[in-house]
Amino acid sequence: MGTMESSPGFRRGWGRQTSLFQIRRPAFWAYAVVVAGTGVFAVGAQSAFRQISPSGWALSWFLLALYALPVFLAVYFLDLYEREPLSLVLGAVVWGAVAATTLAGIGNQGWGLVVARIGTPEFAARWTAALTAPFVEETLKAVGLVLLVLIASEEWDDVMDGFVYGAVCGLGFAVVEDVFYFIAVFGGSPGGVLAGFYVRVVSSGLYGHVVYTALSGMGMAYFVSRADEVPRRRRVLVAGGLFLAAVAGHFLWDSPWLDLFPSRVESLRDWLLIPVAATVKGVPLLALAVVGVTLARRRERGWLEGALRSEVERGTLSAVELGLLLDPAARRRSRRDVRARAGAGAARLVKRLQKEQVNLAMIRTRVETDDDPDLERQRQYCRSLRDALMAIPGAVPWAGRTQVG
Amino acid sequence: MRYRSVLATICVLALTVVVVFGGYVVAAALSQPAGPPITVAGIVRVSPLSGWEVAERSAEPPSVRLTRGSGNLDVFVFPFTGTPVELATEYVEQVLRPQADRLEVSRRVQLVRVGSRSGVRVAYIGLFRGVQFQIEGQVTAVVSSSGGAVVFDGWAPAGLLQYATGDLKTMIDMAVIR
Repeated sequence: MGTMESSPGFRRGWGRQTSLFQIRRPAFWAYAVVVAGTGVFAVGAQSAFRQISPSGWALSWFLLALYALPVFLAVYFLDLYEREPLSLVLGAVVWGAVAATTLAGIGNQGWGLVVARIGTPEFAARWTAALTAPFVEETLKAVGLVLLVLIASEEWDDVMDGFVYGAVCGLGFAVVEDVFYFIAVFGGSPGGVLAGFYVRVVSSGLYGHVVYTALSGMGMAYFVSRADEVPRRRRVLVAGGLFLAAVAGHFLWDSPWLDLFPSRVESLRDWLLIPVAATVKGVPLLALAVVGVTLARRRERGWLEGALRSEVERGTLSAVELGLLLDPAARRRSRRDVRARAGAGAARLVKRLQKEQVNLAMIRTRVETDDDPDLERQRQYCRSLRDALMAIPGAVPWAGRTQVG
Repeated sequence: MRYRSVLATICVLALTVVVVFGGYVVAAALSQPAGPPITVAGIVRVSPLSGWEVAERSAEPPSVRLTRGSGNLDVFVFPFTGTPVELATEYVEQVLRPQADRLEVSRRVQLVRVGSRSGVRVAYIGLFRGVQFQIEGQVTAVVSSSGGAVVFDGWAPAGLLQYATGDLKTMIDMAVIR
């Protein structure tokens, strides 16, 4: 029986899949009770909005679905190799949309009283949002992520996973908060909802809760996943730093600082100024998140390479194929080329092969031995797909150059 | 391992409780009277919270104005026999409307308790002569058993009243009416 080699880029357990429903873990029940309790209030709030303006409420959800669905898919698929279990990802969305928004509504009001007590009404009017929401909302969203860590810590393999859970939790929060704003602040009429959609989604949709919580999630994932490699002190610093960056970004957004937003929107110039003002406040944190995601993806690419290098030596896949798997753009290009040369069916087969080769890497990280039956089965499956592809004339130009095992 | 998992979950829930409800506890702790109470016409005693100062006193009608930034609380004592609703209506029509170029008063009348007495509260928004901005306010009317009536008029520039409401409500709730 062979043993798995521990090459530097090899990440054991990367490919494991766990669901949200871990009924033996207390965190799951804490999650379930909080979501169920706050869910009653959340449904009540939506029902009230629907009564205030049925058409505005329906339009709000329609427009927000147009925004949220692509963002959700983009975030989910940004994790190229080891996609997170859907139950956990949806669990993060639900926490953000239901629990965090409801609890934040109560918490913001309470801490708002403190700000009003400490400062004058003028001070409170300018600063209440900045001195309450960033701390209350970021903490409550992070609480949901901590519960997800406690429910399924084995799914938090790297920073990229934290990005996914954090971003979708923030997305859930943003959507429900936007509905509130469209109805309660922008008036709830179809015109008001459209104006709200322009201001809060078209102009600012890239910068808000999705980015804040993604940063918190990345910090949390760094803390959890690097326990064997990085001293606790440094992990605390990184996780705390990213959480504080999220709070700081949110604080800047809500504060009167760098505020270029027009006080009244009367002309086309005012409308055009809104996205500019949003960019000034939001881009620094977005840039930080982009850097974090880039680094995390590079690291995951290293793991994929580590998991599949020995498979190249075994001949399960070729070096060219491994190169394609490591470069998403080249992967897409290869499928386009195959489609042009050998048709759509061959392109679909290439896509399937590439997916199964990634799955092979995931299985390698899960199993204990090099000759594990699951691993051997996956190797055989990849070979059979490959053989089918090679049987299509002109489909795989690189196949002839590499020996296949 | 299980013990740590339970402990971690409890800590997370405790943090949630602090974040969600801590503000109310801190605000209540900060909402303590500062300085001596102020008595108007021997009928009502108001205890200003910290930061609130006496801006004006008047003998006719007996009244005091407390202020903090742009938040204000006028406390009037009138001789009056009638219901709190009639008192509130009379205050709006006889005191506020004559000073206003434009005045909107809420149709909804809220029942409130001030100390051991019941009263009513109405909200208003208006443009008053000599003032550049709209004023938003809440009138709380309470009839005392000694033949007098007390009107609390909490007001601020439009948009700012919500940030003074907590203090106004606390001071009105703590007022003692003879």
